[in-house]
Amino acid sequence: MTRRYHVLAIPIRIVLNSFGDHNPNGMMYVLKENEQKVKNLVKKNPFSPVDLVQPLVIRANEGETIELLFENQLNFNTGMHFQQAEYDVCQSDGANVGFNKDTTAAPGESILYRLHAVKEGTYIFSDLGNPASGENGSNSNGLFGALLIQPRFSWWTNPETGKTMNSGVYADVHHPLLPSYREYAWIFHDEMEADDLTGNRPINHLTNQEEESFHGANYRYEPINRRQQLIEEGVVGPNTEGEEVHHDSWVFGDPSSPILRGYVGDPAKIRLIHAGVKETHVFHYHVHQWLSDPQDLNSEMLDSQSISPQSHYTVEPLYGLGSLQGAFGDAIVHCHLYPHFAAGMWGLNRVFDTLQDGSQCYPNGVPIKALQPLPDRKAPPKPTKLKPGFPNFIPGKVGYKAPRPPLGIKGGRGLTELERNAAVKNPRPGAVFVDPCPDNATKKEFNVSVIELPVTYNKQGWHDPKARIFVLDEDLEDVCSGKKEPEPLVFHTTAHTSICVNFTNRLPHILDGDAFQLVTRTYETGFHIHFVKFDCLVNDGANVGWNYDSSVLPGETIQYEYYADIELKAWFVHDHLFANAHQQHGVFGSGVVHPRFTEFLDSATGEEVARGTQITTRNPLIPDYRDFVLFAQDFALLFDNDGKPLQPPGFPGSNDDPGLFGVNYKNEPLQFRLGPDCDPAYTFSSYVNGDPITPILRAYEGDSIRIRLLQGAQEESHSFNVHGLRWLKQRKNLNSNMEEQQHVGISESFTMETYIPRAGDYFWAFETEEDLWNGLWGLIRAFDEKVPDLIPLSDRPEPLKRSRPLPECTGKKPPKAADPTRIPVKKGPIRYFDIVAFQVPFVYNSFGDHDPHGIIFSLREDMDAILEGKKKPEPLVIRGNVGDTIEVTLTSLLKLNLFPFQDGIYPYPEVKEQAFYPPSLRISLHPQLIQYDVKTSGGETVGFNGDQTVGPGESRKYRWYVDAPMGACGMWDMADIRNHKSQGAFGAFIAEPRGTEHLDPYTLKPVKTGTNVVLRNPFLPSIREFVTIMHDGVRLLDKDKHLIVDPLAGMILPPPDVDEDEVDTYDQGSRGFNYRSERLVNRYRKHPVLHDLFSSRVFGDPATPLFESYVGDPVTIRLVTPAERRRTHTFHLHGHRFRFEEKNLNSRTESFAGFNVAGAARNLELLGGAGAYMGFPGDYMYRSGNILWDIEQGMWGILRIHDNIQEHLPPLEH
Amino acid sequence: MSNQKRGLRPVNDTREEALVLYFEKHIGRRAFILTEAFPFMFIGKIKGLLGDIVILDVQTTSVPALEGKVWNIHIDSIEVFYIETGTGAKIPHLKEHSDEEPA
Repeated sequence: MTRRYHVLAIPIRIVLNSFGDHNPNGMMYVLKENEQKVKNLVKKNPFSPVDLVQPLVIRANEGETIELLFENQLNFNTGMHFQQAEYDVCQSDGANVGFNKDTTAAPGESILYRLHAVKEGTYIFSDLGNPASGENGSNSNGLFGALLIQPRFSWWTNPETGKTMNSGVYADVHHPLLPSYREYAWIFHDEMEADDLTGNRPINHLTNQEEESFHGANYRYEPINRRQQLIEEGVVGPNTEGEEVHHDSWVFGDPSSPILRGYVGDPAKIRLIHAGVKETHVFHYHVHQWLSDPQDLNSEMLDSQSISPQSHYTVEPLYGLGSLQGAFGDAIVHCHLYPHFAAGMWGLNRVFDTLQDGSQCYPNGVPIKALQPLPDRKAPPKPTKLKPGFPNFIPGKVGYKAPRPPLGIKGGRGLTELERNAAVKNPRPGAVFVDPCPDNATKKEFNVSVIELPVTYNKQGWHDPKARIFVLDEDLEDVCSGKKEPEPLVFHTTAHTSICVNFTNRLPHILDGDAFQLVTRTYETGFHIHFVKFDCLVNDGANVGWNYDSSVLPGETIQYEYYADIELKAWFVHDHLFANAHQQHGVFGSGVVHPRFTEFLDSATGEEVARGTQITTRNPLIPDYRDFVLFAQDFALLFDNDGKPLQPPGFPGSNDDPGLFGVNYKNEPLQFRLGPDCDPAYTFSSYVNGDPITPILRAYEGDSIRIRLLQGAQEESHSFNVHGLRWLKQRKNLNSNMEEQQHVGISESFTMETYIPRAGDYFWAFETEEDLWNGLWGLIRAFDEKVPDLIPLSDRPEPLKRSRPLPECTGKKPPKAADPTRIPVKKGPIRYFDIVAFQVPFVYNSFGDHDPHGIIFSLREDMDAILEGKKKPEPLVIRGNVGDTIEVTLTSLLKLNLFPFQDGIYPYPEVKEQAFYPPSLRISLHPQLIQYDVKTSGGETVGFNGDQTVGPGESRKYRWYVDAPMGACGMWDMADIRNHKSQGAFGAFIAEPRGTEHLDPYTLKPVKTGTNVVLRNPFLPSIREFVTIMHDGVRLLDKDKHLIVDPLAGMILPPPDVDEDEVDTYDQGSRGFNYRSERLVNRYRKHPVLHDLFSSRVFGDPATPLFESYVGDPVTIRLVTPAERRRTHTFHLHGHRFRFEEKNLNSRTESFAGFNVAGAARNLELLGGAGAYMGFPGDYMYRSGNILWDIEQGMWGILRIHDNIQEHLPPLEH
Repeated sequence: MSNQKRGLRPVNDTREEALVLYFEKHIGRRAFILTEAFPFMFIGKIKGLLGDIVILDVQTTSVPALEGKVWNIHIDSIEVFYIETGTGAKIPHLKEHSDEEPA
């Protein structure tokens, strides 16, 4: 079937909220049938949001062909590029790539796109005619939307009228066989131009500085700044401060941002889309959980999910709206990054318990729009005077803060008559309107307080004088007196437990001001929980919509109750009232829900415990394990020993990346770990510097462990890496990917379940450069023999009595690690690689952008050719097959005079807290995901392991073993993270199936290295393998040897008032693929036509790798991101899809891979091979999904798919 | 030629019969059973057999809501089992640690 749409791109004024904040230069896609209507409405309502001004969302069914006539009414070439779909790249790419035909439309022109909806899901569309970032681009101004593909035979209706519809962000979707569901498109976007009513940039009324940039959803946002102004002016909310009522509809009425409406139990799909250009956001949805992959029942359960630009997920709340317990009320949906949340990136999911036919009103008199019940579900009861339904039984007062819940606060009020009518049979504190806890559940009670106290983060005395933390009441005295070291509160329970928390607010009323923050009256706090089941009206620990305010005042105690139905991860707890003001001071913790029947033991004494970030468990059915919890933190507002604020923002109250970093309230900055000889190579050595103050996770060799990874604060992405231990990405699924790295955003929770095969010190780190530099690393220490303060696991053999003393800090260079090759290889082939590390200039493109100080690993046999310019430098890619032993001989040929900054300060790209750290002439090579003994072959000098780095002229051997076809494994230097890595000291190891030959694609002769090979295997089809190494933080000079200060230097259409200080440290530097970068600004200077910038007809092919294939050839892309900045990149390949997890047949299939940040490694097997199932030849762009600033900075290239045999490219034999 | 055609007894019949006999012999004893499908694990007392279906008074499974009930488990769905015969290890009585007795 063919479905047809006529879509226009039009300029439009977008009013972003009811305060009149607007984008005068907005652009949107709209159906032709709505064009005049929307234009008229906007003309009539210049200062109010217009419903029809929303991102275009159209729908079709799986298997259909969509013919889309696109008409451009903007004054530059635009198009519609669709992700996920299959299409003829020469006719319907919506771009002008390589040697394809230009498929953008000129102003006033039209073009017909033909798309094939091969699979249900979310097909984002956006413009590529104007790839400029910033306010002169098209994407930041709104030129995006989505085509939502439904199951075959579906149809859709307007949720308000029940009539069929052609476009709209909300729809009810129906099917002859399957249940109907509510479909909500939730489209995050950022960096849109926002002006206030006067046409100027909004000013923050407290700081008098320009407001944060726009962060919103569906062309709307509801900033705290605007709402707080109404309090300041005395219009509403007497005696309130601001943040605690930011989401309170009693004070302000409903927000302009999206409200997703449904009835209790309705099946729903939130199509979560990131159409923004820059930030990685964290989508959090109160009360509900969902599977990370709705197609895969073994996938991880989530309630918070990071999303990077131009990527998407389907969020299908388990048990429907209101979850298992059937909660009703307002569940807030928001970006969990607090500065974004405060900027207005939030909305509500409103779950009604009574029928809304349009005749009812909210408490403030605003009519409640009708909402059709889903036709296959029983309609909820009609509201009556005695049972008016949510929100009209709540005894609130319009214009004032929401009321406190009945029963919850100790000594507080009971129920009103209307509340009693709405309540469950046995209302009790925390469970008044739904009862989440079954009668036979185990009961556990915890008494928790939140307190303020000074906390010292490191040995140098960096401290937070106003740290705020959760503690159990029984620990209060010990923590406050200094007997117990403060750590984030982690309490432990088992599945099928009803958890009661008595939460006491012991904070001072005032969070005092300083260089970081303004004085804030944080007079009430709550204990907001994730994952567990609860009554969202009274127990959310928040103040949301028309719900109650379930927080407490200082000195008061509130009782909460939750149910942990099944084994859960470490569920996140935090305050929801003043989170933006004080969560970065430490107001976060976690409850871990373990398998049933688990006992929790103190790892030192074996006594039962209820809390702790490191415990030992005992279970009669499953293997015992060590349980470790790590919380990453940014925005840590620290002062040094002299009271000097560290990394204060430009002005107090600014959310512009203030402060530093922590992990469990600790950090171990590298600048303080230079030993007496000032060699960064020994930074991580405990011989030289003693153990870090950050967590050392202790276990015995062979122990099972679970690392619970969370992020407690506050705005940024972090990349957790463990060296030498890997885990299943989806714990329950044995076909899931094995990983050694995990991206994490605030409030996300991951469990890494693994075991420690060999004794030694394993390195863990949040491994982007700035995190690591500022101390986010530690060790997992696996003992080979008994130590006195660590009980063995009860089901493991008793460790042997200690035969030799434990190593100690000597202050001297670490001893050399033993030679791993002294032990003979028992079985299997050995592959030898003689690798040298040396310096050589890298030329990044034909415009002369270059890094004169590149550091490269290469095979010794290739070194001369590279130095002589006969062979182009590319990152070293080596391969081994399953069963192979890999012996690497590494030699350092680094020379001090070839380092640019021998004085020890690397000025750009910089990191926070720059300090002396001279270049090391030692180097090492650390691989991911394959097997090795960390004591000899981890390629790093860590803890009490011996030295595994090599000095100039020295060589050492590493021995690795390929035990599984892991595919892409990153490989990088660990001797000097400041002076080596972003300069090129990285590569990849590819672990191939047994029996694979690795051939040059152009000669079909065997090769030992290369980013582009053909894999030939007697049992598998021949495959083209393309290795793309995405990297950033590069320091480039232009052809005139002037420093290129990217990203701003690379902007095509920079704003006139561009300010270098606006660029975060972690955006600094240039970026590219495989030491190449096709920066668009170079092309634009030569030929200033935006839509031609990707064209090879105009510019020739880009400098980035050009991968070639024939239609239908099997293709695997190995995508590795070894270096180094904290900003994540999305990878997107036009016109193709791949499985998220290549070995999991139930995996979702997508055309993007998100979160490419230090340590990420992916294997993308193109479904249907080159040209996808429909086999269209042409030039397919691979690129970053981040319009700001990656694409402009050259993070793009071409996969060229030929249909005719080319002389230079032999076909794969079949 | 198949065993049946040769007049031999199919091996599955032999297996099923042995299992039925074994479970029958241990009626009244506690059994630990793993199944491939949900809910994967049962601990309970064997009440009897209905043909080749084990009738189990279930004390513990992976899901609390399924406990304290009688479940009928087809022996073909049993992957692994252990019956407490008095001579080998005891199947633990699994208890949850509560601050108070369940209501």
